[in-house]
Amino acid sequence: MPTPTLSPTLPPSTHEFADIIHRLEAGGSMLPDSPENLKQIIGIYKAYAVPMDFYWRDLLYIAERVFLNPLPAFKYFISKDYLDRPNAYAGEAGSPRVWRGEDDAHPELREFIAQGEAGRKLPRIMHHLWHGRINMEFAEACMQSMYWHEDINPRFNAYLDSDDYKANADKAIRAYFKGNPAMLGLYKLFPEVFLEKVKQLSYYSNLGLFWEVMAPVFFEMSDLYDEGKLTTVPEAMDFLVNGIFAVAGRPIYHQVFIKGECYEIIPKSEGFTWLYEAALPYVEAIFYRTAPFRGTKSYNAQANEVPRDQADFHYGILYADLFPVGSAGIPPTLLMQDMMHFLPDYLVEMYQANSRGEDDILNQVGVTFQRSMYNVTSAVIQALRTALCYPLDDPNPRHLQANRDFFEMQIDRFKRPEARLRDIQKTSYL
Amino acid sequence: MANIVEIALGNKDFSTLVAAVQAADLVEALQSPGPFTVFAPVNDAFAKLPPGTVQTLVENPPQLARILKFHVVAGRWTQADLKAQTQLDSLEGSPIPVRCHADGGDDFEVKNATVVAADIEASNGIIHVIDTVILMG
Repeated sequence: MPTPTLSPTLPPSTHEFADIIHRLEAGGSMLPDSPENLKQIIGIYKAYAVPMDFYWRDLLYIAERVFLNPLPAFKYFISKDYLDRPNAYAGEAGSPRVWRGEDDAHPELREFIAQGEAGRKLPRIMHHLWHGRINMEFAEACMQSMYWHEDINPRFNAYLDSDDYKANADKAIRAYFKGNPAMLGLYKLFPEVFLEKVKQLSYYSNLGLFWEVMAPVFFEMSDLYDEGKLTTVPEAMDFLVNGIFAVAGRPIYHQVFIKGECYEIIPKSEGFTWLYEAALPYVEAIFYRTAPFRGTKSYNAQANEVPRDQADFHYGILYADLFPVGSAGIPPTLLMQDMMHFLPDYLVEMYQANSRGEDDILNQVGVTFQRSMYNVTSAVIQALRTALCYPLDDPNPRHLQANRDFFEMQIDRFKRPEARLRDIQKTSYL
Repeated sequence: MANIVEIALGNKDFSTLVAAVQAADLVEALQSPGPFTVFAPVNDAFAKLPPGTVQTLVENPPQLARILKFHVVAGRWTQADLKAQTQLDSLEGSPIPVRCHADGGDDFEVKNATVVAADIEASNGIIHVIDTVILMG
């Protein structure tokens, strides 16, 4: 492992995680640089990108097509158009072309949709009933978390509460239920219920547009690793940092297609951006906060076991104890199960070699995912440092101190006892 | 006296900024009476951004306009005026921290940018030239 070099003009940090502060100051990641860690995070990025290719497509399908269907029983039965929908950052027309692969649904995803877990071609309804499908409930749980932690996206939420938004939503609701007096009657009686549902659908669109970027980023990282062109953890982190900047200005919007007509509920002209209204709120809502998962542990709110302030919620992947979280049916496990279907061979071999082999594979996938998300969070921290602070080699000591203050403030969030930052420093953490 | 846009057009160090202002359709706004204070990044400031950042913004004018508006403040704020200020409200809506002679030194910084040329007078405001594109957050 390369030894991080300390900046010559600052004394050593006295932070509890001084080693990690120094590593960040040397352009490193919170995750130690080792071939083993690199293999784990790249392997899991690839396994994550395939279901994510479904998540973003289906989130947009629901936001743009299913819309206010009162009985959305088939919302996970994505249309052919949305499986073929070109990813804006892959294929010949990608701008920028983040992944050199094709822009429609990934071949492994198509194969899984056709064959399910059963490994046989059956009608989709059969795979669905046998649960041989992508767990869209995970994507919806992420959307719910972003929607619920409303303080982290103030500008976007202010627009959702604006008269312009209400007028746009009203137009779409009336068009969607045109000729349906029962639903229009309900809308007249309970307009806020419908509006609230449309706001939630705007978050479906927000998250779909966010993940449309991340899937090709992860596919490209996996390809670069397979080609021997991504050789260290900091290189992997830097690829993410560059990806974040390259698409930072992507518009976040919400449009609905009703009877062939497009209704703009959040127009691109509102100026919402991928970085500020999607990526940063996503990281805060999902990596850090989320909410306690039902069935994993009993919390007594009256004994203050659940924080009074939502900002104090720390139930995200960076804090998760993967053992209780590995329970059936809860969002993180749904994701682990999705990723398990698309693991590269080198990760499967690694899991088989560990003490319980494949018996605890969901747990092992979870721990690997945790490592990989500490690297993604490191990329976000370094990207924010680039955007808001100073270059790592800035000659001005005051600027270097500002960088250090920024890094220490970020790492302070991992002083909490449940944080897994300490654990991911050790190879023995499985 | 030339206005803010005319001054930028006349200086080749601002060619990227001028192209961005044109792409974002902000030329007319910056030619209006104002007055405005503009923190104008030089070409090298845009070049420091990671690859692809500027291109994506130029392809999306409303998003680009938002970033550019973060560099503009209502009113004519000279370097001397800013000594007594710790932050200004940008036209984008987010605050811009300023640090002007804070420790009795000669520093004049706007967020994480350093002012490399201050107090360039225009008919509709004032320009401070900065070495880094500043971003909200």
